[in-house]
Amino acid sequence: MALKSAIRNLRNNPHLLFVRLPNLLSFLCIIVGVVWLLLLPLNEYSRNTYISENALLPGQVHAYFTGSEQNIFRGYKQELEGLLNVGQKSEDGQDQVELTPVISNKIRSVFEASGLKVATQKYEYKSAGITHEGENTYGIIHAPRGDATEAIVLIATWKTANDELNLNGVTLALTLARYFKRWSLWSKDIIFLITPDSKSGTQAWVDAYHDLQPESVQPLPLKSGALQGAVAIEYPFDHRFKNLHIVYDGVNGQLPNLDLFNTAVAIAGGQMGIGSNLQEMWEHDDSYEARLQTMLRGMAKQGLGYATGAHSSFMPYHIDAITLQTKGEGWEDEMALGRTIESLCRSLNNLLEHLHQSFFFYLLMQSNRFVSIGTYLPSAMLIAGNFTIMAIALWMRTGYHEDAKSDMSSDSSQSKKKGSASVTSKSGKPVGLNGPAVAERLLALPLTLVTGLHLLGLVPLYIFNTIPHQFFTTATYIFVVVDIVLPLILAVLLSNGLGLSTPLVPQQYLLIKSFALLLLGLSLSTLATLNFSLSLTIGLLCAPLSFITRSDCSSNPQRFALSGLGLGLLNLLSPPAVLLGACQYTGVSVETVLTEAAYGWDVWGMWTQVVVWCVWWPAWLIGCVLLGSSIF
Amino acid sequence: MAVDRRKVAVFSGAFVLRLLLVCLFPSLPDLLTGRVEVSTPVNSFKRLQEGLFLYIRNVSPYDGGVYHQAPLLLPLFALLPDVKSSPFPTAILYFLVDLLNAHALSTISESGQSVKSRLHSAMRKHIRWDGVSIAAWFLFNPFTIATCLARSTSVFTTTGILYAVSNAVEGNSINAILALGFASYLSLYPALLFLPLVLLCYDQQSQTSKTPSYAVYFLQHAAILLGSVGGLLGLSSIITGNLWEFISATYGFHLLVPDLTPNVGLWWYFFIEMFDSFREFFIGVFWLHLAAYVGGLTARMRSQPLFIITSLLGVFAVFKPYPSISDASLYFALLPLYRHLFPLMRYTFFAVAALLYSSLLGPAFYHLWIYAGSGNANFFYAITLVWSLGLSILLADSIFAALRDEWEQANPESQGQEVKQI
Repeated sequence: MALKSAIRNLRNNPHLLFVRLPNLLSFLCIIVGVVWLLLLPLNEYSRNTYISENALLPGQVHAYFTGSEQNIFRGYKQELEGLLNVGQKSEDGQDQVELTPVISNKIRSVFEASGLKVATQKYEYKSAGITHEGENTYGIIHAPRGDATEAIVLIATWKTANDELNLNGVTLALTLARYFKRWSLWSKDIIFLITPDSKSGTQAWVDAYHDLQPESVQPLPLKSGALQGAVAIEYPFDHRFKNLHIVYDGVNGQLPNLDLFNTAVAIAGGQMGIGSNLQEMWEHDDSYEARLQTMLRGMAKQGLGYATGAHSSFMPYHIDAITLQTKGEGWEDEMALGRTIESLCRSLNNLLEHLHQSFFFYLLMQSNRFVSIGTYLPSAMLIAGNFTIMAIALWMRTGYHEDAKSDMSSDSSQSKKKGSASVTSKSGKPVGLNGPAVAERLLALPLTLVTGLHLLGLVPLYIFNTIPHQFFTTATYIFVVVDIVLPLILAVLLSNGLGLSTPLVPQQYLLIKSFALLLLGLSLSTLATLNFSLSLTIGLLCAPLSFITRSDCSSNPQRFALSGLGLGLLNLLSPPAVLLGACQYTGVSVETVLTEAAYGWDVWGMWTQVVVWCVWWPAWLIGCVLLGSSIF
Repeated sequence: MAVDRRKVAVFSGAFVLRLLLVCLFPSLPDLLTGRVEVSTPVNSFKRLQEGLFLYIRNVSPYDGGVYHQAPLLLPLFALLPDVKSSPFPTAILYFLVDLLNAHALSTISESGQSVKSRLHSAMRKHIRWDGVSIAAWFLFNPFTIATCLARSTSVFTTTGILYAVSNAVEGNSINAILALGFASYLSLYPALLFLPLVLLCYDQQSQTSKTPSYAVYFLQHAAILLGSVGGLLGLSSIITGNLWEFISATYGFHLLVPDLTPNVGLWWYFFIEMFDSFREFFIGVFWLHLAAYVGGLTARMRSQPLFIITSLLGVFAVFKPYPSISDASLYFALLPLYRHLFPLMRYTFFAVAALLYSSLLGPAFYHLWIYAGSGNANFFYAITLVWSLGLSILLADSIFAALRDEWEQANPESQGQEVKQI
């Protein structure tokens, strides 16, 4: 009964129902969404990792990669060193190594001497005015017990993801190739792939493996079966290492099956006694803060969606892949790393079907703790939902006359309203008996404007993906200025009715906001299923847009001050301003970030930019226009 | 005849937009052709290409088991140059077909049949859009554009249906039935529209001239329909040489639903799950369900035959065996004719939001299922359920509004009152 009367009260009070309540609900959604995220690292909400796929049997086999193999390793390393002229340091302290065809030939001959089938592939990519080219070399061990329908890939890149020389990694791959070739227990082919760098080489190779390479990339002369898993090896220094750093983020925030990660952790920790880190958290004390920090770092990488290592390019093809990086000063040598990889390959070799048992959507917060999608998705969905709630509320609000509640004798004001509306409304009949009446909505202009502004997002998208890299910084600053000026111009145009029709009525402003928020909510909730972190980040950055309204009630100076202040604050949250702020905070130059982004667009098929320019930017722009229009 | 300026602007705008999309994004048509939401086994342009390849080489187009469309499409497309080398002639043919459809729509709208027919006259006649606006809604609907760019052959069925209706509202009953025969020949299900269409013709003709009784009129037109379909089938058997082969490959394919490729409808998942022994029974049930709406709606809404046709097209978009977004776009094309019912509808925003959500989430979940491998079939099926739910809400809501309109006419004193279910 009490509830019924409460509902009746609500129905009789449109202001509460359509203005106060949605604001409150939206705000609550955002708060709950953020708190939800912060709760995740607690023991009650996260889970210990476990191996789902029984066939993997991690660490159940003895690894024999020891003893005399070390001599082989040293021999190969010496041969390669001789060709590389290691030791010539450039000014910035990095090894300057030129990968000559001699080295490629050397690798080829080593593989051939070990009995592998070898092939090479040349590739070239152009992005933001920079040319990336190189030559991949790869060898295939045909499975003695298989029929060449499945394969595992071991990758060693000459340059690690941090641009260090990965001499030990490459040498280890060569040694393992010779060693693996002599075993008769492989039931999957093993492909050893040596690429010049982590950014483009694997992409060119994996694209060509699936015959989807662009013109500038050569096709592969030699192939094997369906790729089941890929492991990249990075050992970029000469001393012994302490820990393994496992990198698992793929392009566009796609993640490998959690079983692969778990297997690597289980083998390194359980069988070899090597600790494992993730997300560059070298000191992880399993406290709440450390877990939260790990999770947030993971989310930042996922949200940006760039390739974090040689393994990332495999993810779009549904090939689970990770990179093992050696870190720290300790007592583990290359043989321990080799045994870890041997054991990992043995586990993958056991697989009866593609990795599918475990999770594909997860957030890791420690090498043995994670939350799965069912637990974390609500937080991004709540934040996306707040926009939808607001959009629905605004839509319903536009359907009611503001003055309908006040009295029945408002016929004069209604007829005035009808006069301004080009479409006749049906509100001429008696009002008031059953609450407010339905008003006619003027849809054409709001729909056109919102669609048009979303299409306008294609312009910056095109510009930032095509201009040469040296102009990126200037372009960003120009865009900051454009973002300040454009909303004001649009606001002036709108308050003059675009020169076509009568000035906009308040209802149309509400409709513009409703459509913009509806689209934003729509896109973000779709995005949350594809890339949770990106959706959450953009949702939070757009959160103020829910609460911005066009004010025309208060007195003039106050209104100017308020909307001016609001515009200023909103401009701090515009996409280019956020980019500049983030670059300032992390100490990376804008040009580097944008070059990487353009590279991602051209080569990796990364679509973070599309979300930024076609979802975030239009929504932000419309928010600014609404705020700006209260000045004029 | 004076050419309407606005109409020219809308039509040329739509044409230029399509041309721009094809020129700016040359890979877009092929991308759309591959989407399961747009191309089903019975309207896919890719499959048409396969059939055409066989046909040009004098092999029966149905030999490969890939082509399931009507044989008369083949000589038409054989006249056009090869799509791979010169895609524009085919694209422009489709653009023109879209414009023809829009023209038929504006004819339907201008007849005013939707607000005032022989037996019924709406309460809010003054709230309506003119023909050009309705054509614009159709031409600039993203679903229509996607269907057109994907070169789906359902646009020809759409043409058949729209011309049937536009001839009917103008009183050309024979042309109307011939057009319906063409549509039914192409994809079978439009035959279900026969009953309301005959009623529409009857209403139109009885206003102007003396007409025979219902039964005679009905039989005459049924004979015309059978004759037209029979004629087309005869032509087809001349082309393919084997009547039975093509009937089982086209109409058999429609009726027995052997291809369970995912689409936006409800059949594929259901029949994947189905045990084989129940298959025939449930195919019967599903078809019966689809056909049952014809009788029910015709009986209840007798006074508004055009509304029956509109609603039935909505029902088909949800419940037919191989639906695609082109069916939805046809329903959305006719719905704005009932602009005067919109104020009475209660869930438009929610239905539209559900449709928008599903049209974004559908491709995303399909990607997760097929490409990323991190989702499964249930993801996509759940979204097709939401899509169907959105369409059903819209459909039910529009029928509610039409009934409410009739009721208000019967009870003028309770206009604007809230209704309570007793």
